[in-house]
Amino acid sequence: MKSALINKSDIRLLLKEASREWNIYAPLEVQGGDVNFCCLPKENIKEALNRVTLDDKWIPVPPKDLFFPQLESLFEIKKNKIEETVEYSKKLLFGIKAYDYQGILFSDEFFKRTFQDNYYLSRTKDRLVIIKSCLTPPRQNACFCTSAKTGPFLDKDFDIQLVDIGEAYLVEIGSKRGEDFILKYKRFFKLCSNSEVDKALTVKEKAVDSIELKIDFSRAVELMKGKEPPEEIYKKIAQRCIHCGGCIYVCPTCTCFNVFDDKENEAMIRYRNWDTCVFEGFTREASGFNPRETKWLRASRRYEHKLWYDYKTTGKSGCVGCGRCLTSCPVELGMSKFIQEITA
Amino acid sequence: MKNEYIPYPAIIEAIQTESFDTRTLKVRFKDKRLRDSFDYKPGQFVEISVLGAGEAPISITSSPSRKGFLEFTVRAVGKVTKAIHKLKVGDTVYLRGPYGNSFPFEEAKNRNLLFVAGGIGLPPLRSVINMAFDNRDDFGNIKILYGAKAPDELCFKEELKIWQGIPQAEVLLTVDKPANGWKGNIGVVTTLWKKTEISPKDAIAYVCGPPIMIKFVLQKLLESGFKPDNIYVSLERYMKCGIGKCGHCNIGDKFACIDGPVFSFGQIKELPDKEREI
Repeated sequence: MKSALINKSDIRLLLKEASREWNIYAPLEVQGGDVNFCCLPKENIKEALNRVTLDDKWIPVPPKDLFFPQLESLFEIKKNKIEETVEYSKKLLFGIKAYDYQGILFSDEFFKRTFQDNYYLSRTKDRLVIIKSCLTPPRQNACFCTSAKTGPFLDKDFDIQLVDIGEAYLVEIGSKRGEDFILKYKRFFKLCSNSEVDKALTVKEKAVDSIELKIDFSRAVELMKGKEPPEEIYKKIAQRCIHCGGCIYVCPTCTCFNVFDDKENEAMIRYRNWDTCVFEGFTREASGFNPRETKWLRASRRYEHKLWYDYKTTGKSGCVGCGRCLTSCPVELGMSKFIQEITA
Repeated sequence: MKNEYIPYPAIIEAIQTESFDTRTLKVRFKDKRLRDSFDYKPGQFVEISVLGAGEAPISITSSPSRKGFLEFTVRAVGKVTKAIHKLKVGDTVYLRGPYGNSFPFEEAKNRNLLFVAGGIGLPPLRSVINMAFDNRDDFGNIKILYGAKAPDELCFKEELKIWQGIPQAEVLLTVDKPANGWKGNIGVVTTLWKKTEISPKDAIAYVCGPPIMIKFVLQKLLESGFKPDNIYVSLERYMKCGIGKCGHCNIGDKFACIDGPVFSFGQIKELPDKEREI
């Protein structure tokens, strides 16, 4: 793999320069100290760059809405003319965690398969991703990307990956797109030596070891492949679950949606918005018949979809081990707890 | 790359009242090229939009053997279907599709066909029934068992009589609650088993109706000696996108909209028990 170096102090200069060509999305500290993935406003780039943080901070919301917004219009019909909504921009995702990138790749495949989803796919065109993962997990009780095999560092299938080696980042180049980017902005990058590559290796090993939560995915898949986990487990979960949908909204790979029409002045606009299988109305038919009326069926749907059906269809688990479902849950349910329970 | 979410305008040419809450619409695409090129198979559905009300998946009840127009039978139960019922001849609906898989047709040639339908379950089967009648010599005997709550609620009342008159075709009707003048059978659709011989020999069965009806019909078909792979059921699920993305119609690892809506009973048995109602 090709590598380079960039001084930490040059990162903001690089982003400033790149913002002329790209819409840059990066982790930004917002009021109250939270970190959110935001688009850097071109008109006020200097102020925004000061808020970019590459520390190992917890990012409560994944970047899925860059490609699959919570609410989007599909088309508009005005005076019998249909106008499609088209959103396209060159996007540079900077400082994204490896597991979130794996979540994006998983969703890419889903929106490509069978019928292509133009809305999602047009937003992914000309996308460059620079990964910067954590050296220590921001939430030790929630993070389990090593168990999901989605991080903290990737060996392949990425554009650029930064490894924090102290004063500088080792810059690993994983794709032609990534290489083109480095060449274009080469004045910010330096050659690296073997000792820096070795140092990065040690850093990576340490990062892997720092994650304490271990979740047995393959055993969970095996269990589901054979006999489904007993109803009692789902019923127990359903008793606690308040079906708020929080876990789905923060899940990097949950992509179910609702479709509805709205009239605005002379125009009719068709929208889609996020929806979820934990809501009772999700499967309720107009006749009133609902195949997943009971709470425990909806609880089992989510776990079995992520762990078993996704694995069966794609060979990959739909859970990337980010731990957000657990941290967002008002009653402390989450994928890691579920797997722990069924594999105990 | 074609945007699958974009619907195309079609004009309503005729509206036939089937019952107090059910109508059949005959439509033609505005665009002549689309009218000529639109191809579908029996059992497939389209997404029908009434602008402002939304979109609903409705099976195509016309037969692909009769070209240039499409027919849909719609019961007014939800927001979109109620809006469809407010439309008049000459009004525009927007369509996209066809979507979903279809009933076996080529594979059914030279065999006997058994159709079992309940209520609004007949319209999806009507597509394959008329296609079979339009290719009458390719099939053995054709039996149609059809039940509804009341005589008034039977769809295609005139066409049922035409089908009855076709050689080697038998139409048996039943209702739960008879009205004045009803001379036919009374009871659920499975009571028709006593009125005719149901043989699995060289036969293929097509079933569509409410889940509770399907459940009892499947049991009856198995008792009569039908193999699960010779029984085809059109499964209904709440759908939004129709193209395997929105997630509403998933059953196990399948989507009713792209892997179905037609499943053999053999395939249905593979779906997780708790996710299927039959």
